[in-house]
Amino acid sequence: MERAKIWLAVKFVWPLNGKMAEAIRGFQATEADGVWHLHRTLHRLDDPRQRAILFTHGLEEEAHAEEFTLAYAHYGQRPLAPANFERRELYPADEPTWKTFAFVNVGEDDATQRFRLLRDTIDDGLLKESLGRVVADEEGHVGLTHSLLVRMGATDAEIRTELRRVRVQRLWESWLRSGRRVIDRLATVILSVVYFVIGAVLHRTARARLSRTFVDYDNNRIKKLVE
Amino acid sequence: MNVLGVSYGYHDASASLIVDGRVVAASAEERFTRQKHDSNFPTFAIDYCLQQGGALRVGDIDQVVFHEDPHAKFARVLTTALAPFPRSRLEFVNSTKSWMGKKLWALNTVSSRLDIAADRISYLSHHFSHAVQAFMGSGFDESAILIVDAVGDWASTALFRGRWQDGQPVIERIFEVPFPNSLGLVYSAFTAFLGFNPNDSECSTMALAAFGRPVYVDAVRAIVAELDDGTYRVDQGYFNFANFYKGVVTSRFTQVFGEPRSFAQKLPFRSFGAPGDATSDVQRFADAAFAVQTVIEERLLALARRLHREHPSENLCFAGGVSLNCVANRRLLAEGPFKNIHIPPDPGDGGTAVGTALYYDALHERVDPRAASYDPYLGAQYDERDDIRMFEHVKPEHVSRYLKRGLAPLPGMQFRQATFANVDDLVAEVAGRLLRGNIVGWFQGRAEIGPRALGNRSILIRPDDLHLALRLSRDVKDRALFRPYAFSVAEEDALEVLDVAPEHVRFCRWMQFAQPVRSTHWDKVAAALHVDHTTRPQVCSAAENPRFHRLLTAFGDRFGLAALLNTSFNPSGYPIVSTPVEALTMFARTGMDALALGNTLVWKDAN
Repeated sequence: MERAKIWLAVKFVWPLNGKMAEAIRGFQATEADGVWHLHRTLHRLDDPRQRAILFTHGLEEEAHAEEFTLAYAHYGQRPLAPANFERRELYPADEPTWKTFAFVNVGEDDATQRFRLLRDTIDDGLLKESLGRVVADEEGHVGLTHSLLVRMGATDAEIRTELRRVRVQRLWESWLRSGRRVIDRLATVILSVVYFVIGAVLHRTARARLSRTFVDYDNNRIKKLVE
Repeated sequence: MNVLGVSYGYHDASASLIVDGRVVAASAEERFTRQKHDSNFPTFAIDYCLQQGGALRVGDIDQVVFHEDPHAKFARVLTTALAPFPRSRLEFVNSTKSWMGKKLWALNTVSSRLDIAADRISYLSHHFSHAVQAFMGSGFDESAILIVDAVGDWASTALFRGRWQDGQPVIERIFEVPFPNSLGLVYSAFTAFLGFNPNDSECSTMALAAFGRPVYVDAVRAIVAELDDGTYRVDQGYFNFANFYKGVVTSRFTQVFGEPRSFAQKLPFRSFGAPGDATSDVQRFADAAFAVQTVIEERLLALARRLHREHPSENLCFAGGVSLNCVANRRLLAEGPFKNIHIPPDPGDGGTAVGTALYYDALHERVDPRAASYDPYLGAQYDERDDIRMFEHVKPEHVSRYLKRGLAPLPGMQFRQATFANVDDLVAEVAGRLLRGNIVGWFQGRAEIGPRALGNRSILIRPDDLHLALRLSRDVKDRALFRPYAFSVAEEDALEVLDVAPEHVRFCRWMQFAQPVRSTHWDKVAAALHVDHTTRPQVCSAAENPRFHRLLTAFGDRFGLAALLNTSFNPSGYPIVSTPVEALTMFARTGMDALALGNTLVWKDAN
């Protein structure tokens, strides 16, 4: 299924204007997001050796983000704009830290599979080379994050349960994203109709308003949301 | 009274905390999320502010003040989307989705995310927020106020007058220029035309302008025409501000200036060293940058004169994104009608979180205007000791595999560190390393607010070494060679090196004014000079940043001038580092030689 999705995207979507670069920008943002989560997790650990492992892991993810930045510069039509995800902690502060590694482990596993399929699908070039390097590292990361789970004292049963929970959550989020895309398409149709209805009526007023040479009302005061 | 200032939604989301009239904390969200110009709800910045206020809870906050009037802004967005009917369907659909889905409810989001009652939330219009931001920290008893940015609610430029009356600020509108007549948008449109990121890389346009010739100046003067009343009108035939899905500039624009630059096209200009070989096709981009820079300066001067006629004060408070243009600011200071100019440390949208909260507080408590002044060192501070202990366990051979692309690993590299019992020993060691040609990260105390590194999150080198500056650009910063560096100088040496009037030196404390350097010192600070022999100096006093001032002085004792090339501590595309771990990451991956983290110095040793 994943292979088919990637094949379709590479063959039919990526050739469209800017779509390949857009995808690479997403990869870059994902890797940078990984660095951020690793740094947040690092600050919750006491053992300097474990912190050092995460720090080094973060360096690798940072290098991957740079790989994709360079690939974007090669394939993109415009300069790379910074990503703008709303960052959230993976778990509340009172949850055990090892759970974060379960999340990271599943994320690394998914990314490795996706990047590997992508590497095998695309033609030779700079992106393929970058993906080759990234996949080689990410394969190691999956093992590393799993070993950190064990080292931090989680039992096999706890690990299995949490990994399953994270996978279900990610699947649910993926469905939500798909649902949002459907709603977005629907909204586009409805708002297009609205545009032609109210636009026909109001566009002259709008033009007149935009041709003013001064702002004709004074909105410069402090207001309350509820008086 | 505890007042929380919040700004978010477009770019540079921020938060600030005022406790009893004093700014306790302020930060942009990007410093916590590592996403440059992060516009999302500033969860982490708010959390930091509350912690800095003494582990406050939201229940301890008397009022939250938001920096915009979402309803007024939505009216402008809708009007803009409908005006080009029937050619603006995409614009209408996308902006309506974005606004109906999120931005229109920003005030309710503040209420729900913070779990705070709606009656404890206030808001101001965008340009009024900038006006109070500019005035509140100025320390002036009265002032003219000039606000120029891209666009807020309806206004793009606004003129105010402000004064203190019985311990309360009174700010009155004089005139507002409405969207789509916008100097900020014109500058951003040229920035996009030149192949840079608009709303981010305007500084590149400003830097490129220094290489231009006066070829297109009259053309831009005609496009951004000055009116008799000192304001201006932008010919909309050249831009797609109302319909930017068609591209930000029109075919009429390209008939005059040619096709836009591809961002991949090399710009051979250099701010120092041997000049590059600019072909005529590349030269036209510098000429276009020169033209828009010149005309923006002229229009700002005209606005300042109009404002002075309306409010003949000695003082000007200036804010909004355009006030980050340090070259224009110099002309405003040198040729404008005002004797004193105050630009807040973070004059863009991010800084409105500070000004609006200060304003609310002052309206409800009598305040001494001078007590409302604040410096840029309001950001987060960290205890670096745990991270330094962690770094002892980082294996250099592992780091060497993930260096910044193109950087060769140092043979047999080892990380070393030393912690100094007193600051004098630390600055002596760092000064010595700088003199020997090291690239040193300087990470101290609380982070600066705003876009400038002012000696707490800085990368430093000696200011006369061109080869070192090239290494800094290539191996550390990934910085285009046409972009100049700047220097920090101890205030005692400022007049020796800067060709400025003595009374203007105090305005140069936050790198907001480009200034000419005396020809006697061109060699001494060659790496921090632009091609026109100006720099954007930080004049550092012992009172404002004692530790950095000590470093400058210690370096000056050996070098003969207490000045260091100072550039922001961030990798390309990321915000300035916030935590010690981010600083160590950049130190480890790039060509930096040493890093001073608090009282500890970490350095790379090679066999």
